[in-house]
Amino acid sequence: MTVADQAVDAPDAPDAGRRRSASHTRLWGWLLAPPAIWMFVFFVCSIAIVVLLSFGHVNEHFKPVFGASLDNYRTLFNTTYATVFVRSLVYAMLTVVFCLLVGYPVAYTIALHGGRHKNLLVAALVIPFFASYLIRMYAWSTLLSDEGLVNQTLLKLGVAEPVKFLNTPGAVIAGLTYGFVIFMILPIYAALERMDLSLIEAGKDLYHGPLRTFFAVTLPSTRAGVLGGLLLVFLPALGDFVSAQLLGGPGTYMIGNLIQQQFFEGQNAPLGSALTVVLMLCLVVFMVFYLRATDRERRET
Amino acid sequence: MAATTASTTTSSAPAPSSRRRRRGRSVEGKPRVAVAFTVLFFVLLYLPIIVVVIFSFNSRKSLSYFESFSTRWYVQFFNDEGLISSLKASLLISTITMLGSLLLGVMLAIALERVSSRKARVVGTVSLVPLVTPEIVTGVAALLFFTGLGIKLSLTTVILAEITFSISYVAVIVRGRLASMSGEYEEAARDLGCTPFQAVRLVVVPAILPALIAAGLLIFALTFDDFVLAFFTTGVDPQPLPVRIYSEIRLSISPAINAVGTCMMAVSAVLLVLALIVPRLFGSKDSSIDMLS
Repeated sequence: MTVADQAVDAPDAPDAGRRRSASHTRLWGWLLAPPAIWMFVFFVCSIAIVVLLSFGHVNEHFKPVFGASLDNYRTLFNTTYATVFVRSLVYAMLTVVFCLLVGYPVAYTIALHGGRHKNLLVAALVIPFFASYLIRMYAWSTLLSDEGLVNQTLLKLGVAEPVKFLNTPGAVIAGLTYGFVIFMILPIYAALERMDLSLIEAGKDLYHGPLRTFFAVTLPSTRAGVLGGLLLVFLPALGDFVSAQLLGGPGTYMIGNLIQQQFFEGQNAPLGSALTVVLMLCLVVFMVFYLRATDRERRET
Repeated sequence: MAATTASTTTSSAPAPSSRRRRRGRSVEGKPRVAVAFTVLFFVLLYLPIIVVVIFSFNSRKSLSYFESFSTRWYVQFFNDEGLISSLKASLLISTITMLGSLLLGVMLAIALERVSSRKARVVGTVSLVPLVTPEIVTGVAALLFFTGLGIKLSLTTVILAEITFSISYVAVIVRGRLASMSGEYEEAARDLGCTPFQAVRLVVVPAILPALIAAGLLIFALTFDDFVLAFFTTGVDPQPLPVRIYSEIRLSISPAINAVGTCMMAVSAVLLVLALIVPRLFGSKDSSIDMLS
């Protein structure tokens, strides 16, 4: 940096500068090539293969072959698959709602009442979420099992028989909420941090009562954060299969479980690809809604 | 949690001018419920983690009765050749992924920050897509790509997939840092006689070093923990640790998994704490995690 600081003062012929800047741009162009090619080959091409294979089929040796038929997509319309799709959408939507209900108060408390330890609290929040999703899900599955600690505590408290937590939709949705609520908390926290707090003061004078102030002032001014959170939770929740695998059962399977089965148990990669494509389409639709909502937001302000 | 309660006491203190105090004032009288809720949230957040750690030291095989302190499950873990080879595999994957994605991610970040052509904008947009793509989609895509080309699944395929996924993270973090630094610095270095390569090496890289270290630590931790992508792209032997754990969990419940899980969480926690602290040590206010949100 010191080299640079000194050099800013050094005068230079404008002509030479322009020439150099052109050669510079070429250098940056060369820097761009390797990562761009890498992303194209390993990401764009591999996604394209998924799309192409979804129109293919499995030959007599159980090998996937490319084709041009819509059979896989037709298969998806039968009730078993359709049920799982609807179920996944419902679970993911409910997860988003619960994440909002849980995440907003937590973000609000830390952002506005975190005091001196605000950064520490955020760190304490972030670290467990990035540390082993699998182990935490496994921990819940042992905690909530029939002989698990939760049921033991309930029995001691006088509940007659163990409550069946596992293999229920509730357990899967709770697992998803637990796994992804951080993606709701962080954007809302960021929005609250950016917010002008004198607005709340003004709101208090205008509306009287903290609840009315919250709904009239705080919530609307953090809308961008909430929208971001909705998207960031919905995307991974819809594609998850670990929660349904460890906390649920065949009755609560989601799209992710079906995809995983097609590739590892069913050995039907083309059908699995079709499932993946439909999953991607759902996400794109959701994404478009999000972009339009944020667009409207921007135009209004 | 103590911190949360402490903060409520400060907030009720009457004091006008400083910013923090004013924040406290704006919410006086209200927060009881929200604070209690947040405390409960933190308890539930840490409950499974604490249970795993405690029961990893249980002398009995049970996962619900704690008998007495013992390190037998750790001994079992370190004597289990399969688990140890998985651990080594995971460390190898994380190390190479970290180095590879740092190299490619930094190139991408610098190029995107300095080139404003349409091509660059397209690359920039495409490079953000992996961040919002569910891992199962990336996993399926990588699996089909490798099997389609007839490449045998192994640790190499896991590494290739993990690097692809991680480049975007590195690029986002490093771009955040680069954006605050103007291109004139490299120009100036060139005026002083640096070759373009030297300008990058002597001027740009030192300036983005904190972001590089933070991104590296974060990628190491995320890759070390990653299950879904590894699950789709790994061969049979050796399997990365999370994949191995997953199959063990499904077969039977063994307390040795608690010991492995405790070690894994400890590794990730240390790396993440470092990733949060490093940019601050260099005097920057924003940390890598902030930029992810």
